[in-house]
Amino acid sequence: MNVDQELVQRVQAGDKKAFDLLIMKYQQRIIHVITGFVHDPVEAMDVAQEAFIKAYRALPNFRGDSAFYTWLYRIAINTSKNHLTASSRRPPMSDVDAMDATNYYDAPELKEFETPENSLMCVELEEAIQQAIEDLPEDTATAIKLREFEGMSYEEIAEAMDCPIGTVRSRIFRAREAIDKQVKSVMGEEE
Amino acid sequence: MAINHLELVSALVDGQLTGSELEQALELVNNDSSVREAFMRFQQASDILHGYTRSITQAPLELTTRISAALEAEPVYSIPTQNKPTAKLLRFPKNFWKQATGLAMAASVGALAVVGVVQQQTGFNGVPVASVVANESPATMVSQSNRWTVAEPEIEDRLNNYLVDHNEYVGTSGMFSYGRVVSYGTEQ
Repeated sequence: MNVDQELVQRVQAGDKKAFDLLIMKYQQRIIHVITGFVHDPVEAMDVAQEAFIKAYRALPNFRGDSAFYTWLYRIAINTSKNHLTASSRRPPMSDVDAMDATNYYDAPELKEFETPENSLMCVELEEAIQQAIEDLPEDTATAIKLREFEGMSYEEIAEAMDCPIGTVRSRIFRAREAIDKQVKSVMGEEE
Repeated sequence: MAINHLELVSALVDGQLTGSELEQALELVNNDSSVREAFMRFQQASDILHGYTRSITQAPLELTTRISAALEAEPVYSIPTQNKPTAKLLRFPKNFWKQATGLAMAASVGALAVVGVVQQQTGFNGVPVASVVANESPATMVSQSNRWTVAEPEIEDRLNNYLVDHNEYVGTSGMFSYGRVVSYGTEQ
């Protein structure tokens, strides 16, 4: 059983806090999808909130036939379309596949969402993260790249790098700490 | 906050925890605000690496807090955790089919034996077995009756020949030998 399944079962068994973790895990992705339809950032946050609430209400009927994110993604798309219809705006004619949603950057309507400030911050973040990874020791950089860009499991990384799983976990954690430090500095949250 | 706690949270972001470690990580995130913030920062870093940067100016904690507050009025579910029923493949022992085939063959042979006996008995009690032969050889009839009289040497020889032929034939063809139940007597 994966972490999502475990969290869903906990919510279904009465652990409301477990749903918070699902929100924290998927909110960025869901907002990213919603902004493909709703261009105003404040509205997009409202729609995201509505989508998560709908998901919570529908969770007793979620049987795990599909991945939780795929199911949540579908709810977010429908909520976005309903929002546009309710506000008398035409929803997009074509749907966006869950797998393609992440590649939905070039849609012209998204340009409205991407304010100059936001765009600048994105560029700065990408550069900072790139720099943080370059500054990492080679083993640590390889571990985080295999995890984040290749989507490999810890077990697969351990096999590829010929080291124990515990070492992989430790390297990835150190990489995350370094990246987090850079993110904080760009976003002005430096401690 | 211990380093190993943060390492646990990092692994939770990757969905690479199971069992007691997953349990421990969930407990930490639910009950320790600093661990919770670390989880969100690590998740955010992962999201940025994957290009989910559109809402980066929004504080992630804000949305979670908003949704949690909105969910306070929602009911708490109490669906018992149960494993979904899965189709189980019934596996027989390796020699099951061999034994089943043997039993099926034995049962068939037994059934044939029973049917054979019943038919044989019906033949003796109902239509006489040799009646056709008797009709073909009316000259052998020594009385008005349609029964053969075994006491006559000619009939006895013919019956003996039939019996011998039958036993020899079934021995080569693999048929069940009815010979062991074929007999004749003066009373028939």
